[in-house]
Amino acid sequence: MIEVKDLRKQFGSVKAVDGVTFTGKSGAITGLLGPNGAGKTTAIRMIGTLIAIDSGAASIDGIDVATDADGARCACGLLTDSRGVYTRMTARENIRYYAELRGVEAARSEKTLARFVDWLDMKDILDRRTEGFSQGERMKVAIVRALIHEPANVILDEPTNGLDVMSTRALRELIKRLKSDGQTVMFSSHVMQEVAALCDEIIIISHGRVTAQGTTEQLMEMSGKNNLEDAFIALSDVSQSADAHKEVA
Amino acid sequence: MWATIVTVCTKELTDHLRDRRTAAMIFFLSIAMGPLLLIGLTQFISSVEKKAEAREVFVEGKANSPQIVNFFARQDVTIKDPKPDFRELIKSGKHDPVLVIPKTFEEKFQTGTAEVELVFDDTRQDAGNASIGVLRRLMRGFNGEVSTQRLIARGVSPQLVRVVDVQDVNLGTAAQRAAGLLFIIPWITLLGCVSGVTAIAIDVTAGERERGSLEPLLMNPVSRAGLTTGKWLAVAIYGLTVAALTMCGFALTLNFVPLPNLASVLSISAAQYLGFAITMFSFAPAMGALQMLIATYGRTYKEAQTYVSYLIMAVSMAPAIGMLAQFKDATWQLFVPMLGQLMVITRILRGETVTAMHYLLPFALNTAISVIAVLLISKLLTKEKIIFGRA
Repeated sequence: MIEVKDLRKQFGSVKAVDGVTFTGKSGAITGLLGPNGAGKTTAIRMIGTLIAIDSGAASIDGIDVATDADGARCACGLLTDSRGVYTRMTARENIRYYAELRGVEAARSEKTLARFVDWLDMKDILDRRTEGFSQGERMKVAIVRALIHEPANVILDEPTNGLDVMSTRALRELIKRLKSDGQTVMFSSHVMQEVAALCDEIIIISHGRVTAQGTTEQLMEMSGKNNLEDAFIALSDVSQSADAHKEVA
Repeated sequence: MWATIVTVCTKELTDHLRDRRTAAMIFFLSIAMGPLLLIGLTQFISSVEKKAEAREVFVEGKANSPQIVNFFARQDVTIKDPKPDFRELIKSGKHDPVLVIPKTFEEKFQTGTAEVELVFDDTRQDAGNASIGVLRRLMRGFNGEVSTQRLIARGVSPQLVRVVDVQDVNLGTAAQRAAGLLFIIPWITLLGCVSGVTAIAIDVTAGERERGSLEPLLMNPVSRAGLTTGKWLAVAIYGLTVAALTMCGFALTLNFVPLPNLASVLSISAAQYLGFAITMFSFAPAMGALQMLIATYGRTYKEAQTYVSYLIMAVSMAPAIGMLAQFKDATWQLFVPMLGQLMVITRILRGETVTAMHYLLPFALNTAISVIAVLLISKLLTKEKIIFGRA
């Protein structure tokens, strides 16, 4: 379970995350939906211990990320938009490096790897050097190395960005599988269909704040719209600030 | 922590050694450095010696003084005619010094003091200038002979004008004289230790940032200090390899290649090799750490390369500054990286006493540099600007 309470982060005069509170329930898929620059990535990086928290708190399975960063890192697997791999090493070696850093036993990591290889159809690329890998292939390596320790919580930041249809579909299947294994999955996106198709709960973030949260149906009901896209526009600040703009003009 | 260090170090070494071209180039240059330098130095020294011993001098206007020609011939010196435009050629370093005997020489020689000109360019450091000494000595000899004859002809004892007889007593050993040139050996080998690890030092720091692999790496539940130490260890091992290969190159060349001019001055004992090695082995890892620290600020490999090049420039300039400022061997130099190592290795090559202090001070300093650099890099890896600042 991922719990975030009144999380705040400021870069200079910009309030990137301005008091965000939400929960990612165990065995469920939670989607963070928001326009570019809404603060999704910053919030995820704070939960992932990569950025210091200004105020508020985040915890993974009850482990406070600020006080026990290593504990939090063990409890979750995080895929950010940095998906760089070591190009002179094979996909398997890239993944094994992370398994060793995490102290996962070789036999166990091989077993986990075999499962992912099957799910993500990586047989052909596994023992190839990653030089010249496509975006989709690199994403597969990045996601497996992030999850090689079989964490109970999975956080994916815009995982389908730049991927083709086949890779996107493979990823979607993976997310569903993780959920059926009882893992907590949280992912951010600005693609409505994706979020609507996968998520049990959707959190709409805009201008660093949570503007609405609930299931697809609840969000449509709340906004009085009959599709998620219209609901999203109605519920995120974007339309309101546009209106405010009009008034000023 | 130890497991992290070993994992990171093993990965970085494997990863970097797979860049075959870079690694092969660096290792080849390291091992080739000794032979290239030593053979080059031998060639240079022997050409200097040849010129100094050469019984050949250039004289312009030898028809103007049969006496000088006669004297040179009796000294077994062959006189050669200079090229017509020798003054220009000397300026451009393409001609040896020339003795010019003017047309008026004979007339003045009979009546009083005659003049000759010695044409050379002292801004040129090449071997040709060795023959200036030969020409000067010859003319001094000629002067002495003629004046002695003239004094005797007038019934005066030549002893009268020889109040002081100056005799040359050179206290410098052959080794010390050669060491004047031998500074090139420590300079180039130490520079090799620095530039040999640049590629890997940048690869493990700025390379991670450019690739976008730093952020996921830092998501692993391992300490920054462990990661950095592992990376530094890989760089240090690489640097030690470069230093060891360089040493091997020197040892093999000195023992198996006939170097007639250097063999006498460069007879390095096992103990001296050890001293040489200790100095280089403590230097290379510290320079690796320093380059890693600088490269961490680079968002890309290229940017880091620019930053690191300033360090390499400073290191390569150190001996030149030392020479210009005419530093005498002093303890304070041991506290300056590069200058200290240069001093110690030069002392070893000159066969001068090297004490424990000469090894311990630089070793302590280099260890401190490595530790501080590793700690600073670990600290930098918590900074958002470094982790996310991508080009």
